[in-house]
Amino acid sequence: MAVGIELEPAGRQRAERLGRLWQARPGLLGWLTTVDHKRIGLLYFFTTLVFFAAGGVEALLIRTQLAQPNEKVVSPGTYDQLFTVHGVTMIFLFIIPMTIGAFGNYLVPLMIGARDMAFPRLNALSFWLFVGSGIFIYTGLFIGAGPDAGWFNYVPLADRTFSPGMAIDFYALGLIFNGIASTASALNFIVTIFKGRAPGMSLNRMPLFCFAMLAVSGALIFALPALTTDCVFLELDRKLGFHFFDTALGGSSLLWQHLFWLFGHPEVYIIVLPAFGIATSIIPTFAKRKMVAFPLVALAELLVAFIGFGVWAHHMFSTGLATTTLIFFAAASMMVVIPSTIQVFAWCFTVMMGRPQFKAPLLFIGGFIAFFVLGGLSGIMFAAIPFDQQVTDTYFVVAHFHFIIFGAAVFPVLGGMYYWFPKVTGRLYHERAAQVSFWLTFAGTALTFFPMHIVGLLGMTRRVYTYSSGLGFGIYNLLETVGSFVLAAGLLLILGNLVWSLRRGPQAGPDPFGGATLEWAIPSPPPEYNFAVIPTVTSAYPNWDLDDRHEDVRKLNRGEWVLDSGHETPASSVRDGVLAEILDMPSESPWPVTLAVCVAVVFTMLLTSHFYVAGLAGLAAAFALIAWHSQEPEEV
Amino acid sequence: MSAVAHRAARPNGWWGMAIFVATEATLFGTLVGSYFFLRFSTPHWPPFGIRPPEIAVPLILTGVLVATSVLLQKALGSAREGRRSAAWLLILVAVVVQAGYFAMQIRLFENDLARFSPTGSAYGSIYFTLLGAHHAHVVLGILLEGWLLWRLAGGLNRYRLVALQSIVLYWHAVNVLALVVVGTQLSANA
Repeated sequence: MAVGIELEPAGRQRAERLGRLWQARPGLLGWLTTVDHKRIGLLYFFTTLVFFAAGGVEALLIRTQLAQPNEKVVSPGTYDQLFTVHGVTMIFLFIIPMTIGAFGNYLVPLMIGARDMAFPRLNALSFWLFVGSGIFIYTGLFIGAGPDAGWFNYVPLADRTFSPGMAIDFYALGLIFNGIASTASALNFIVTIFKGRAPGMSLNRMPLFCFAMLAVSGALIFALPALTTDCVFLELDRKLGFHFFDTALGGSSLLWQHLFWLFGHPEVYIIVLPAFGIATSIIPTFAKRKMVAFPLVALAELLVAFIGFGVWAHHMFSTGLATTTLIFFAAASMMVVIPSTIQVFAWCFTVMMGRPQFKAPLLFIGGFIAFFVLGGLSGIMFAAIPFDQQVTDTYFVVAHFHFIIFGAAVFPVLGGMYYWFPKVTGRLYHERAAQVSFWLTFAGTALTFFPMHIVGLLGMTRRVYTYSSGLGFGIYNLLETVGSFVLAAGLLLILGNLVWSLRRGPQAGPDPFGGATLEWAIPSPPPEYNFAVIPTVTSAYPNWDLDDRHEDVRKLNRGEWVLDSGHETPASSVRDGVLAEILDMPSESPWPVTLAVCVAVVFTMLLTSHFYVAGLAGLAAAFALIAWHSQEPEEV
Repeated sequence: MSAVAHRAARPNGWWGMAIFVATEATLFGTLVGSYFFLRFSTPHWPPFGIRPPEIAVPLILTGVLVATSVLLQKALGSAREGRRSAAWLLILVAVVVQAGYFAMQIRLFENDLARFSPTGSAYGSIYFTLLGAHHAHVVLGILLEGWLLWRLAGGLNRYRLVALQSIVLYWHAVNVLALVVVGTQLSANA
C-alpha cells in the first residue's frame, strides 16, 4: 500500500474478507488443483529450472567432449542425443516456459491490475500439459532413445529409413504435445491482456512488458501450427507410410524445412521478445525515468514479431532455392534491424538520460544489450547470402545464435529473477554477491561463445562429435570449455544467492526499487486476491502516480471497487480499458490436471502405436472436459 | 459503466474462441500451403492412374454444410432474445444436417480410399490428410453442439449464451475452411 494514507479498520476488514474468499486450498492437493496465476507461475518457474539444469548438464558434457581433439568422453551416438536434447530442452522446456509461463504468468495479471488470468483453469491445463510434454521427451533420453537428428530434425535423416526406432517419434509427438500447451497459454495471455486490464488502462497505458507478451503470444498463435503440421506429416510418414517427404513418390524433403522454419524463425523472436519486455521493466526503475520513445518501443515489439514471419528461408540459403527467393528473404531479414535498433537506442538513451543505479538487475540488462548488439551484428552478416553459404553449419552460426538466445534472451531472465525476487518472496537478495554473479556469467558467456566465431571461420563444423588435432581448433575449444564452466559457476552463484536470501535476506517491503508498474503497489509477497481495490489507471507508470495509489487506499476504506461478493474481477473493453462487466472467476479445479493426464496417455499410446487405446484416452479426455464445464460461474 | 461500452465489449469466451479459430485457420493454411508446394514440385498432379476428384457432389455437400451457418446464426439471435426452445430446435436441425453431411463424406472418403491410397503417393498423402483434418473439425463441432443442446435443455443463462456465441463462431470458421478445403482439392482438375 502506498505510504501516507492510513488504512482504517473497515478497510483492513475488507482486505481480510478478500483473503478468506480467495484462500488457496492447503497442501499438495492445493498445488495440483490450483488456478492462481501466481502459484502456476511458481510451478512453471521451478519446473523450468529443473529442465534448465538438465539442458545445462548436457551442454557441459558437450563442452567436455570438445575440450580437446579426439576426446572420447561420450560416444558419437550419445553426442547426437546430447546436442539435440540440449537444443530442444533449452528452447521448448526452458526459455519459452520460463519467460511466458513463469514470468508472464506471475507478472502480467499483476501489471494490468487483474486478479487472475482470463481463463484460470486453462492456465493450469497449460502448465500440466507442459510438464507432461517435458517428461515425455526426457523419457526418450532416459531409455536411450533420445531425439538425435538435431533440434531442427531434417528429413531424410529423420525419416523411417534412416532413423528407425522411437527417438524421432519422441521428438515429433513431444513437440505436438508441447505445442498444445503453448497455444493454450498464448491464447490465455492475449485474452487476459485484451480484456483483463484495470479500468483506465487503455492500450497506450499498458506496460511495455505486456506489449512484449502480447507480441509473443500472437507470434505463437500463428507460428506453432506450422510446427504441428510438420510433425504430423512426419509421424504419418513414419508410422503409417505416407509420403510427404519422400521425393521418390512426389514428396519433398524441402517441405519439412519450409514448414519448420516458418515456425522456427518466429520462434527465435518468441524467445527473445520477453527479454525485451523484462528489459523495459527494469530500465525505467533503475534509471529513475520514463522510457524514451514509449510508443515506438511498443510498436517495435509488435513489429519484430510480425517481420519474424517473413524471413524463414534465410535458414535455407544453402539448399538451392532460386536466387530471387533468396534475395527477398535476405532483404526481409535486414528489415528486422529497424525495430531492433529502435529498441536498442531507446534502452540506451533511457539509461543515459536518467540517473542510473547499476544494481544487479540493471547490470544484467547491460550484459543483455551488449550480447544482443554483438549477436545482432553477426546476424546481419547472414543476410549477405554468399557469406551465409560459406559459414552454414559451422560454429560461426552456433556463436551467433548463442549470443542471441543465451546472451540476449537469458540475461534479462537472470536479471529479472533478482528484480522480482523481493516481490515474490518479500525478501531482498544479496546485492554484492549478485553483482559478482553478473560478472561471472558475463565473462563465462563471452568466453564460451566468442571463440566459436573464430573456429567457425576456420572451418569447424557443428554437430560433429570430435575434431582432429593439428587443425588449430584445440586452443579455442579449450577456452570455450573453460568459459562454459565459469558460466555454470555464475549460474550456481545466482541460485545460491536466491536460496540464501529466501531465509536470510532483509525484509523488502512492497516496493524496494521504486518500480513503475502495478505489481509494486501491493504487498510482497502479493496476497492471493492481488489487489484489495481494483486500481484505476491514468498513465503508463501507474505506481508513480501517487495520488491514484492513495485514492486506492481511500477506496478500500470506503468499500468502493473491492468486489468482495465472490471470486470477482473486472473485464474491460479491448482498446480503451473501459469497464465492461464484473466476472465471477473459477476456483480450484481437479479437471485441468486430469485432462493433462489423459492427453499424456493419448500421446504415449500414439508413440507405441496403440491407436485404439489412444482413442479411449481421448474419450476420457472428453469426459474430463464435460466435467470441467459443469461448474458454471455465478450470475453477477 | 456506459451502455455503449457494455454492448461493444465481447465476452472473454468469444475472444478465446476467436483466437482459437485464428490458430486453426493457420493450421489449415499450412496444410493448403503444403498441398500447393507439393503440387508445384511434381510434374503430374494428380499422378498417373489417379482421377482428379469429382466436382459436383463435393460442391453440393459443402453448400449444404455452409448453409448451417445461417441456422446457427438464427439460433444465436433467438437465444439473445431469450427464446430458448427456438434456439434449441434450430441447433438441433443444424446438427442433423451436419451429421448427414458427415455421413455422406465418410461414404465418399471410403470410395476414394478404394480408388487410391494415402501411402501410394504424396498426392494421396496430402489429399487424405487435408480431408481428414476437415472431418475432424466437423466432428468436433458436432460434439460441441451436442454438449450445448444438453446444457440448453436445462435452461438458458449468460454462461451458456457465451458458449453458444463461441460455438457459432467456431462453425462459421469451419464452414469457411470447408470452402477453402474443397476449393483446394478441386483445383487438381485445373
